[in-house]
Amino acid sequence: MRLISKKTLLLFFLPGAIFMGAFLVYPILSMVFDSFFDIGITGDRTFIGVDNYIHAFTAGGFLKQLKNTLLYIVVAVTIETVLGILFALFFEMNYKGNKIIRSLMMAPLMIAPLVAGLTWKLMMSSSFGIVNELLARVGILSSPSDILWLADEKWSLIACCIADIWLTVPFMMLMTLAGLQGLDSSITEAAKIDGANMLQQVFYIKIPMIKPVLLTALSIRIIDAARTFDIIWAMTEGGPNSSSETLSIIIYKTLTRYNDIGYASAMAVIFIIALVVFTLVFMQSLWNPKKKSN
Amino acid sequence: MKIKGEIFKKAGITISVILTIFWLIPYIYVVCCSFKPGAEVIAVPPKFFPEAFSVENFFGLFGRMDALQFLLNSLSAAVCSTVIALILGSLAAYAIQRSGARLSIVLIVLVLCLKMIPTSSIVVPIYELICDLGLYDTRIALIIVYAAVNMPFVMWTMLSFYEGIPTTLDEAAYVDGASSFQTFSKVILPICKPGLATAFIFTLFLAWNDFLIALLLTSTNAKTFTVGLAGFLSAYNLDLGPMCAGAFLFSFPVMIISLVAQKYIVQGMTAGAVKG
Repeated sequence: MRLISKKTLLLFFLPGAIFMGAFLVYPILSMVFDSFFDIGITGDRTFIGVDNYIHAFTAGGFLKQLKNTLLYIVVAVTIETVLGILFALFFEMNYKGNKIIRSLMMAPLMIAPLVAGLTWKLMMSSSFGIVNELLARVGILSSPSDILWLADEKWSLIACCIADIWLTVPFMMLMTLAGLQGLDSSITEAAKIDGANMLQQVFYIKIPMIKPVLLTALSIRIIDAARTFDIIWAMTEGGPNSSSETLSIIIYKTLTRYNDIGYASAMAVIFIIALVVFTLVFMQSLWNPKKKSN
Repeated sequence: MKIKGEIFKKAGITISVILTIFWLIPYIYVVCCSFKPGAEVIAVPPKFFPEAFSVENFFGLFGRMDALQFLLNSLSAAVCSTVIALILGSLAAYAIQRSGARLSIVLIVLVLCLKMIPTSSIVVPIYELICDLGLYDTRIALIIVYAAVNMPFVMWTMLSFYEGIPTTLDEAAYVDGASSFQTFSKVILPICKPGLATAFIFTLFLAWNDFLIALLLTSTNAKTFTVGLAGFLSAYNLDLGPMCAGAFLFSFPVMIISLVAQKYIVQGMTAGAVKG
């Protein structure tokens, strides 16, 4: 028996669909349309075909930002995943008060990315930043102004990654923890009896068994890292010399500073296509239709 | 063997406590800075804890921007948009999940793709649309845009909750003569309260924490707190104290709610949630 007729489906779906249609789908479509035009500041349009797209992939286009975005994703997500798993293994233990510790650890989870960016900007400031002061006291740096985190092209993107890592390790930890807690403890018990040591238990049993959860968390994080805007904007605004500019930032800048709607739209279309393709490839881990039947 | 286990456990506990404290340091630092006198925030060399306790920065914050108004804007936009997204999203998700039609799979994939759209790339067409509608710099604009942008997220969360409810319940309600809408509102929704709570908290935070949409859609009247905070970015160093006070004021309620409602947050994340 079908529980809901096609008519009811439409009736229930329509109010939400109208909202999303007007403010999500329509903007995307109009953006695709815009991407084929050269749009002046006054709004005059000239059809230029795929020139905007060609421009994006040539020198002076967005290749540098693309590289930065990929670098950001690789650095941030790799470290987040490793730390997240590591933390989860420590926090998995049961003892009196572990709930409180776990809760405290997860407290920064929902802090606004903008606030995280501002926090780290303050801490990484070259003159009165606590990070460099600490590094200098420990002896890693000879003077607190040795690393200009936000003003040095070598470090700016890394600095943004650090803020991102701080903000999202609790998320990775939470996901891993959820996976670990869903494991049947008799399996690890059996392994223990068979003589597997701690490391073997972790690498040969626990991690392989929570692979689906990890993959889901990983794909969510990769997409979110790719979209990051607030943190980078708060810390460096993409500078210095666009060394920390990612796709999100360059699209926004092209729109608001250079007023080039056509070109920005073309970049946004490429960006969206890339993310959607990635999502569809990773669909299996995000959503599995077969799950319903068992 | 047992003693070795005990030692391991003690070491593990110690490490997890240290990790937690270490991880909270940045936040504690901001809290400390917000209670320092303004000049101490930018003192060289910096001190972690305030030497003199002061609420000067909070006065500075309220003196420099209309903080209360911005907070109210943030709050009203977040709450109203969340309610709309929740009502429409849960209804739509129910229809998709229960219809079982091939169409529904297409819709689910569509919802997932919409959820992955980077905000930074669609804000400009949204901006143009809002200007065309004459809603620029109004709270209504923020409410409807947040509702639309967060709706795929609500639907996604609710879909996974509906999946866990046996369809026999719907059938029983149907046999008893309930209409589809009655089944949804009187039978399914009450069971889904945890799901709704999860979606509510998440959507609320997503809207509350949003920066980019508010940055483009508002200028004075409907300006939200995040946009106000970002105003300190271009400011001189002396304003960093009030900035800390603002960051603390803005994120403190979030921290408290996260601690109290952690159960729902954990559920939301593990149901495939995304934070921005």
